[in-house]
Amino acid sequence: MLKATSSLGVIFFPAYDWAISPTHPEREERLLYTQDQFREEGLFDIEGISEHRPLFASDQDIMRAHFCFPTVDAICTESHRISAGGAIQAARLVLEQETRRAFALVRPPGHHAMKVVHGNRGFCNINIEAVMVEWIREHYGRKRIAIVDTDCHHGDGTQDVYWHDPDVLFISMHQDGRTLYPGSGFPNENGGPRALGRTINIPLPPRTGDEGYLYALENVVLPILADFKPDLVINSAGQDNHYSDPITNMQFSAQGYARLNELLRPDIAVLEGGYSIKGALPYVNLGICLAMAGCDYSGVREPDFNAIALREEPDTLDYIKASCGQLLEGYFHPAMGAFEKQGEYFIRERKIFYDTDGIMEKQREELTDCDQCRGLRLIKTSSSRILPCLGVELPIDCCPACEREGYEQFNRKNDDFLVAQLLDQKNKQYRYRPSR
Amino acid sequence: MRIGIDIGGTHTDGILIDGTRLVAAAKIPTNHDHLLESISQVLHLILDGQDPAGVSVLNLSTTLTTNAIITGKTDPVGMLVAGGPGIALETYRIGDHFHQIPGSLDHLGTETAPLDVNQLESAIADCCALGVKRFAVAVKFSPRNPVHENLMRDQLGERADFVSTGHLISGQLNFGRRIHTAYYNSAVSRTFRSFTTALTASLSGFALQCEVNILKADGGTMPLVRAQEAPVQSIFSGPAASVMGILATTPASSDMLMLDIGGTTSDIALFASGQPLLEREGIAIDGHPTLVRAIHVESIGIGGDSLISMGANGVQTGPQRLGPCMATGGPAPTLMDALNVLGLAAFGEVQRSIEGMVILAASHGLSGVQLARDAVDTAVNAISTKIESLIAHVNSKPVYTIHEILEDREVTPEKIIVIGGPAAVFKELLQVRLGIEVVIPPFHGVANAIGAALTRSTSHLTLTADTTKGKLSVPMLGVFRSIPRGFNLDTAIEESKNLLQGDLAQAGISISADEIQITQADSFNMVEGSYTTGKNIRVVAQVQPAVVARLDASSAEVLISGRP
Repeated sequence: MLKATSSLGVIFFPAYDWAISPTHPEREERLLYTQDQFREEGLFDIEGISEHRPLFASDQDIMRAHFCFPTVDAICTESHRISAGGAIQAARLVLEQETRRAFALVRPPGHHAMKVVHGNRGFCNINIEAVMVEWIREHYGRKRIAIVDTDCHHGDGTQDVYWHDPDVLFISMHQDGRTLYPGSGFPNENGGPRALGRTINIPLPPRTGDEGYLYALENVVLPILADFKPDLVINSAGQDNHYSDPITNMQFSAQGYARLNELLRPDIAVLEGGYSIKGALPYVNLGICLAMAGCDYSGVREPDFNAIALREEPDTLDYIKASCGQLLEGYFHPAMGAFEKQGEYFIRERKIFYDTDGIMEKQREELTDCDQCRGLRLIKTSSSRILPCLGVELPIDCCPACEREGYEQFNRKNDDFLVAQLLDQKNKQYRYRPSR
Repeated sequence: MRIGIDIGGTHTDGILIDGTRLVAAAKIPTNHDHLLESISQVLHLILDGQDPAGVSVLNLSTTLTTNAIITGKTDPVGMLVAGGPGIALETYRIGDHFHQIPGSLDHLGTETAPLDVNQLESAIADCCALGVKRFAVAVKFSPRNPVHENLMRDQLGERADFVSTGHLISGQLNFGRRIHTAYYNSAVSRTFRSFTTALTASLSGFALQCEVNILKADGGTMPLVRAQEAPVQSIFSGPAASVMGILATTPASSDMLMLDIGGTTSDIALFASGQPLLEREGIAIDGHPTLVRAIHVESIGIGGDSLISMGANGVQTGPQRLGPCMATGGPAPTLMDALNVLGLAAFGEVQRSIEGMVILAASHGLSGVQLARDAVDTAVNAISTKIESLIAHVNSKPVYTIHEILEDREVTPEKIIVIGGPAAVFKELLQVRLGIEVVIPPFHGVANAIGAALTRSTSHLTLTADTTKGKLSVPMLGVFRSIPRGFNLDTAIEESKNLLQGDLAQAGISISADEIQITQADSFNMVEGSYTTGKNIRVVAQVQPAVVARLDASSAEVLISGRP
C-alpha cells in the first residue's frame, strides 16, 4: 500500500447543503466529484493521510481578523463559520503536530474578503486564511507567516488584511488584473508604509501554462521565501488556473498544481476558488493531496490533458522570465510608495464594490505614523446600506501612546458612528462598543 | 426452532432456541482441521432428544474463510484490473497473477480510453497457461459504468470456474478495496463451496431440513446460495455474532458498549441508540482494506490468559499469551490468576495462582497482592483507554453537511455490556474506572451463538442517478438503465426500496418496506454554464442488522453441555 512520507490531515467539508444560489458556481455540487475521485482512489486508505471534520469559528475567532459591520452575524452564516473552522482545524493539526501538513478542502472561500466586511465580495464573506492566521497567533504566539495565494484571481482580500503587517508575507500569483476580476494585484503593490516588501504580486499573462507558472514560482516565490524564513507557509490554494476553468483564461494542469505544492512545501493549504468541478477539481485536488503527502503523483492526469496544446506561447514565457527581476526587487528593495499623509497620519481613502451583494463601501483609513510602534489604525467606513462605522486596530507591538489614543477613540460616547469595533492585538481584546 | 452455531478460534458454540426460549446449549473445542467435525459434535449435543423436523433455521458463523486467508490456503486468482490515470495500479498488486489492462472510465462513468481487448486476451491466456481457474475483475469507477468489467467477464467465458465482478460486490467507490475484495472472494470460493457441499450432506445426516444461512461481518445473514457467490462476506463474523448476541439478550435502545472478554483478546463495539455501528467502508483482510461491510469492532490484546510480566515501565498485562492461566495448569501468571489472587474470582485451583504470583512478585520486590493489583489495574486501564478512544473516534468522524455539524448528537454510552468467560469478574472494576453502569447479560457464555441464531438477513444497495444523462445505476444488482425526465429524489428512494425488497425476495427473504432504512439521500443540481441541466442523485438503502426475537431470561438455567 501507499504510504505518506509526510503525514497529511485533510479537512474535507463540501457543505452539501449550502449554495449562494441554485446555479451559482459556489453551490452544493462543487466538491461532489472531488469526493468521488478521493473515494475511488482510496485517498484516505493511504497510510499517513487522514480525514478530519472542521471546527466552528466563534465570533471572537472572526473578530480577530475582521471588522464586521454592523455585526458578525450580519456578515457570516454558519457555512462561513464552518469553512473558517475547517482552516482552523488544519492549523490545529499542524501546530499540535498531529499531522505534518494539512489541507482544508472547504467551501465557501475567503480570499476576497478584506479587513472591513460589509457583505460578500467575489463569493467571499470572511477571509478564512486570515481567521486561521489570527487563531494561530492567538494560541501559539507571534509568528512569521507566509501566505502564497495561488488562486487565479488576485487575493485582494488577504492583501488588504495584511497590508500593514510586516510579520505576514503575502505573495499572490494570479492572472493579470487587467484581464480578470478583481482588477488589482500589480507589481508595485508592495505593502503599507510599515510593511514595505511584505506584499508581492505576480501577475501572469492569460494562457500561462505549467512551465511559465512554475518558472515564476521557482524564480520569484521560492527565493523570497528562502530569505523571509517563515515559521509557516500557507498555500491559499485556488484551482481556477486550470485550463478547463469556466471563468478564467489560464492553462495550468493537475500535474502543474501537484508540482507547485511539491516545490512550495506548504504546511497548510486552504481551498479558494476553482469552478471546473468535473474536469479539474477531482484531479487537481488529488494531485495536491498526493504532493503534500510526499506520495507519487505522476499518474494523476485529466482525461483530456494534452501537454502540447496547453503549452504557453514562447512570447508569454519570455514575458514572464523578463518580469521576474523586477518582482524580486519588490521584496528586496521595495520603493517607498506615494503614501498620502495628513499631519501624523497615513491616509487611504477608497471605494470598494461588493460584486456578489451589490454593496458600495466608502472607506477612510488613518494610520498613525508612530516611531514607537506600527501605529494605531482607524478605519471609518460606510456603505450604501449602513451609516458610518468605526474600526480601531491596535497592533501587536502597540506603544502606550497609541494604546491610549485607540481606547479613547473606541470608548467615545458621542461620536457619529453607528457601530465601533475594537481589534486590540496587543491585549487580545476584540469587541464591539456597547450600544448607547 | 432455530439453531445458532459460532465456530470460534478456541471454541465452537451451539444453541437451540424455541421462540424466545433457550432449549439447549453446547461448547466444545474447535477442531480447525475438521470444522465439519466440530459442527457435528455440537449438533449432536443440542439436538439430543429433540425432533430435527422442528428446526426451521440454522445460522452458522464460521472462521473457514478467515483461516483460509490467514494460513494462506487459498487458490490462485487471475486478477484483471483496469485503472487509467490516478494512483499507480501497482499499489494494489495482489496475488501472483495481477494483470493491468489499459482502458479507463472517469468519475461520471464516461469511457475515457477503451479497454484493450488484445492485452486482456493475452492476460487471460497467460493465466490459463498456468492453470488458473478462478478470476476476479475490477475497473476504476465500475460502479458508475460496468462496461469494462462486463467485457472482461464475457471474455473469460467458460475458461473461468469462478469470476468475482467488482461492481457486483459493492456499489461503493474505492478501487483498491474493490480489487482486494474481488480477489479474496475468488481466492476462497472453492474452499467455501466444498465446505458448504459437505455441510449440506452432513445436515441431511441429522435429518435437518431447515433453511441454512451464513453469518456476515455486518451481523446479518445471507442464504447459503448467496454465500457461495460472495464467500468473502463470511469473514470475521465471530465478533459480529457476539454483538448480535447482545441485541438478542439485552434490552437495547440507548447508546451503549459491548466488551467481549476472551482468552487472548477482548473485543469492543459501540451501539448508537441500540444500533451497532458499522465500519465506514469495510474491514481489512490480511492488511488489505476491503469493501466487506462489518460491525466496527476494536480488538485489544488483553484477555483472561494475558501474560503478566515486568517491563521497563512497570507491570505489563498482555498482549502475550503463553498458555492458559496457572489455575488451570498454565506455565506463568496471567490476568485470570491475578483476579484469583485478589479474591475477585475463584477459577480453577486458586492456590496455584497465588503461588505463581508470589514467585514472580518476589523477584521484583513486590508482594503477590501488589503485583496482582497492578496487573489488573493495567488491564482495566488499557481497556478503558481503548473504549474512550473509540468513542472519541466515532464522535469525530467526518461529516459533509452544515446540518450534521450543527445537529449531530454525540454518542455517549450509558452502559457497557460485558460478555465472555471472565465477564462477571470485571463488573465492579469497570464500573469504578468508567463510571457507567456495567451489565452482565444472561447466557453471556454463549451470547455469540445466540446472536447467530436470532439474527436476520441484512442487505444494502447504492443507487446513483444522473438525470442529465438519463441514467440510473444500482451496481450491486447489476441494474444500469435509462430513466425518464421526471425522475427525482423521491422516486429514487422509492426505487431503492423496491429493488432491495425485490432482491431479498429473490433470495427467499421477505421484508416490509418500513424495515428498509435510507442512510443517504442527496440530490445535487448539475449546472452547465448558468443552466441547470439535471440532477445527480445518490441514495443508499439498507436493511440493518437486527434480531428476530429477544431471548426470555427465565430460560437461563439451561446447562451448557460438552463444556471442555
